[in-house]
Amino acid sequence: MRGIRRFLPALFMLPASLSVTLFFVIPVFMTFVFSFTTMSSDTGILGSRYIVSEATIRTLKDGDLDAALVRQLDSRVFAVNEAGLAALRKSNLKPTVVKEIEEKLSGKVYASEKQLFAALKGLSNRPRSFKDRKMVSKAVVQTLKNREFTTPKEFRAGLASIGIEVTDDVFDVLLEVANTSWKWTTGNYSELMASDFTWKILANTAFYVVLTLFFNVGLALVLALVTFYMPSGQSKFFRAVWLIPRVSPSVIYIMLWRWLSFDGGFMSYILGFFGVQPENWLNEFPWTFVIMANGFVGASMGMIIFASAVVAIPADVLHAAEVDGAYPWQQVRRIILPLMAWPILFITTYQTLSLMTSFEYILLLTDGGPGFFTTEVWALNAYHTALSNYYGNLRYGFGATLAVVLVAVGIAMSLIYLRLFDFKKLVAEPQIEN
Amino acid sequence: MEIRLEKFCKSFGPVKVIEDLDLTIGDCEMIALLGPSGCGKTTTLYAVCGIHRVTSGRIWFGDKDVTALPPQEKNVGVVFQSFALYPHLSVYENIAFPLRIRKDSRADIERKVNEMAGVLHMEELLDRRPGQLSGGQQQRVALARALVRRPEVLLMDEPLANLDAGLRLEMRSEIRRIQRESGCTSILVTHDQVEAMSMCDRIALMNEGKIQQIGSPDDMYHRPENKFIAGFIGNPPISFADGKVEDGCFVTEGLRIELPDRIKGAAVSAGQNISVGVRPEYLRPDFATPIEGEITFIETQGREVLYDLTLAGGQVFRSIQSGEQVCGVGDRIRWGIDADSVFFFGEDGNRI
Ligand SMILES: Nc1ncnc2c1ncn2[C@@H]1O[C@H](COP(=O)(O)OP(=O)(O)OP(=O)(O)O)[C@@H](O)[C@H]1O
Ligand SMILES: [Mg+2]
Repeated sequence: MRGIRRFLPALFMLPASLSVTLFFVIPVFMTFVFSFTTMSSDTGILGSRYIVSEATIRTLKDGDLDAALVRQLDSRVFAVNEAGLAALRKSNLKPTVVKEIEEKLSGKVYASEKQLFAALKGLSNRPRSFKDRKMVSKAVVQTLKNREFTTPKEFRAGLASIGIEVTDDVFDVLLEVANTSWKWTTGNYSELMASDFTWKILANTAFYVVLTLFFNVGLALVLALVTFYMPSGQSKFFRAVWLIPRVSPSVIYIMLWRWLSFDGGFMSYILGFFGVQPENWLNEFPWTFVIMANGFVGASMGMIIFASAVVAIPADVLHAAEVDGAYPWQQVRRIILPLMAWPILFITTYQTLSLMTSFEYILLLTDGGPGFFTTEVWALNAYHTALSNYYGNLRYGFGATLAVVLVAVGIAMSLIYLRLFDFKKLVAEPQIEN
Repeated sequence: MEIRLEKFCKSFGPVKVIEDLDLTIGDCEMIALLGPSGCGKTTTLYAVCGIHRVTSGRIWFGDKDVTALPPQEKNVGVVFQSFALYPHLSVYENIAFPLRIRKDSRADIERKVNEMAGVLHMEELLDRRPGQLSGGQQQRVALARALVRRPEVLLMDEPLANLDAGLRLEMRSEIRRIQRESGCTSILVTHDQVEAMSMCDRIALMNEGKIQQIGSPDDMYHRPENKFIAGFIGNPPISFADGKVEDGCFVTEGLRIELPDRIKGAAVSAGQNISVGVRPEYLRPDFATPIEGEITFIETQGREVLYDLTLAGGQVFRSIQSGEQVCGVGDRIRWGIDADSVFFFGEDGNRI
C-alpha cells in the first residue's frame, strides 16, 4: 500500500508527461535533427542510393579526378557474360549463332561496339544483319549510368563490371558524388543566414505578429471592459456575437472575408454608393485583411478571459475607487488593468506564440501573396518550403530549419514575457501576521 | 453639514430591503447605526455615499439634494465592511489613492499619508501589500484611506470589528477625535452596542429595514420604545416574561409585580395580556418585589456572576451580581426585583 502511494503522483503525471514527450519533445527533437540534413523530395527520407547520373558526371568533370577515369565512368563496355548470353538465348537469334558466341567469345570484354562487331565477324555462324548484331550488342552492353546501388559494395561491383578498378581514395570521392540520398549538413543554417528572403519573411512576421497582437489584445480588453459596464443582458448577447468567428470553421470564416473584399463583394457594393470603383480590396490592402481576420478571432478568446477576470475583481474594490473619486476611465487605468496583469500576460504570450506559429488564415486568405512573398510569414514559409510549393521540390531539411528557428524564438519570447511582467511579483506572497 | 434621508426606499429586484426610512444626522454629529445582521445597514450607507441608486426618496447633504449625485462628486470617506483595499497597491499607495485622484501635490500627499500612518500606527507597514497584512492592519489601512482626505461625511461599516481589545479602545477615541477635529458628519455601523454607546452622540436602531428608535445611548437603555429595542440593547440581555394584568399587578406563575401608578389606571385593563422586561441588574437578593425559582445555569465572568433563574411557569430570568457566587445550580432561591426599573410591553410590543 505504501509503495503504491509513493508512485501515485508519478502515475497521475504519466499521461501528461507521456503526451508532452510524444507530441512536443520528440517532434521538436526530430525537427532539430532533420534541420541538419539535406532531405527533400529528391533525396527521399530513407537510406542511401548511389547513382551515376548525367549530373554526377558533370560534377566529376568539374572536380579534380583523372579525366580518363571520368570518361570511363561515362562509357560503355561490351562484356560477353552469362547474363548477356541468357538474354540472347531468349531472343530470336538462331540458337547456332548464340551457341558459337558462347563458345568462342564467352568472358571477352570489348571497349567499343566496333570491336564487338569485328569479333562477331570472325565467327562462322555470325549474325548476318545489322539488326542482329545490334541485338547482340544490346544484350552484352554494360554501363554504370543511371543504375541504382544501395551499398558501397554493390557500387564497387558495378564499377568492376565495366572494368574500373580504383584506389580507396578515389572510390570515396566517387561514392560521395554518386550518393543521391540525403546528407548531414549545417548548410541549411548558413543558407538561412545568407538568404535575402529570410529578412523579408522575418520582417513580415514581426509586422504581422506585433500589429495583430495589438489589434486583438486591445480589442479584447475594450470588449471586456465595455461589456463589463453594460447591463448584463446586453453584455451577454454582445459577447456571444463576438464568439461567432471562433466557433466557425476557418474555411467558412475566410470565405466570408474573401466575399467581403473581392471586387464584386460586399465592400465594393457598399462603397459603390459613395462613388468608389469596385476593387479587389484584398489585393489592395492584403495586410489589413490578414491582420483583421486574425485579430477578430483572437479577440473573442481574449475577451472571454478578460471578461471573467474583470468580474472576479471584488465589487467593493471598485466601489471604494468610486468613493475615492475615480471615474470609470481612472478605475480601468488604476485598478482594473493592474489587477488584470496576469490574464493580460497570459493572453499576450499565448497570442504571440499562436500568431507566430499558426498560418492557416493567411494560407486560406492570401497564401502569402498577392505577388511574391507579400504576406508570407515565417510559419507559412516553413510550410511552403517543406510541404507545398510551386516548384515541386519539397525541402524537408530546410523547412525543419525554419521550424527550429520558430521554436527557438517562441521559447525566447515566453521567457522575455515572464521577465517583462515580473513573474515573482505577480505570485502572491504569504500573509504575514503580527 | 447635515445629512437627511427622506422616505428612503431601496429594493433589489422584488426584494424590499429598506422602506420609508427617515433619518437626520446633525452637523458634525456621529450617529451609530445599530441592528441585527441583514437589517439594511450597509445598504443605507451605500445609498448615502451614492454607490447604490435609491429606489425612491431623497437624500440631502445640507440643503443640497444629492440623491442622484454619483459618489465621485461627493466628498465622502467610506470604510468598507470588507476593507476593499486595492490589492495591487502598497499600503502607502492605498492611503494616497484618493489624494492622487484628486491630483494633490506630491509633497502634500506624502505629508498627509505619513500623518495618517502615524495616527493609526502603521509607519512600518507602508511598503507592504494588503495581502501581507493581518485583518486588523487591513482595517486600519481602510480607515486611513477614508480619513486622509478630510471628508465632509464619514461612513464606517464596522471599522473596528477585527481589532484586538486594546487597539479597539484606542481606535475608538482616535476616530472620535479625528471626527470631532475635522467636523465631519459620520455614520458608524456596528454590531457592538458598547462601541455605539461610547463613540456616538446618538444611536439609530434598525430592524428589518426600519429605524426602530433614535436617541442617546441613555434613552435607548433606560427608555426603550419597544420590546425589540429593550431586547437588542443591553448585555447580558434583558429577560422577558408574558403574563396578565390582575388587580393592578402583573401576574405570571411564580411572580407578581405591582404596576406603577402611571400605568395602573389608564393604560391597561384587568385581564389584558402584557409582558414584562427585567434587566439582569434589577434582579438581586436584596430587591423588594419577591421572585421565586430554581437556579438552572451559572456563568462566572470574573468580576460578575450571571445566574439563570427559572420560575415554576418555565419563564427564565437573568440576574447579574458582582462578587462571588452565592448559590449553586439546582438551588431553590427567593430573590427580589426592583419594580421601579422594569418595563412593561403591550401585545403590540410597544412599551406601556
Ligand atoms: N445586491 C443585493 N441584491 C439582493 N439583495 C441584497 C443585495 N445587497 C443586500 N441585499 C439584501 O439586503 C438586506 C440588507 O443587506 P445589508 O448588507 O444592508 O445588511 P447589513 O445590515 O449590512 O448586515 P450585516 O450586519 O450582516 O453586514 C439583506 O437581506 C441582503 O440579503
Ligand atoms: Mg453590512
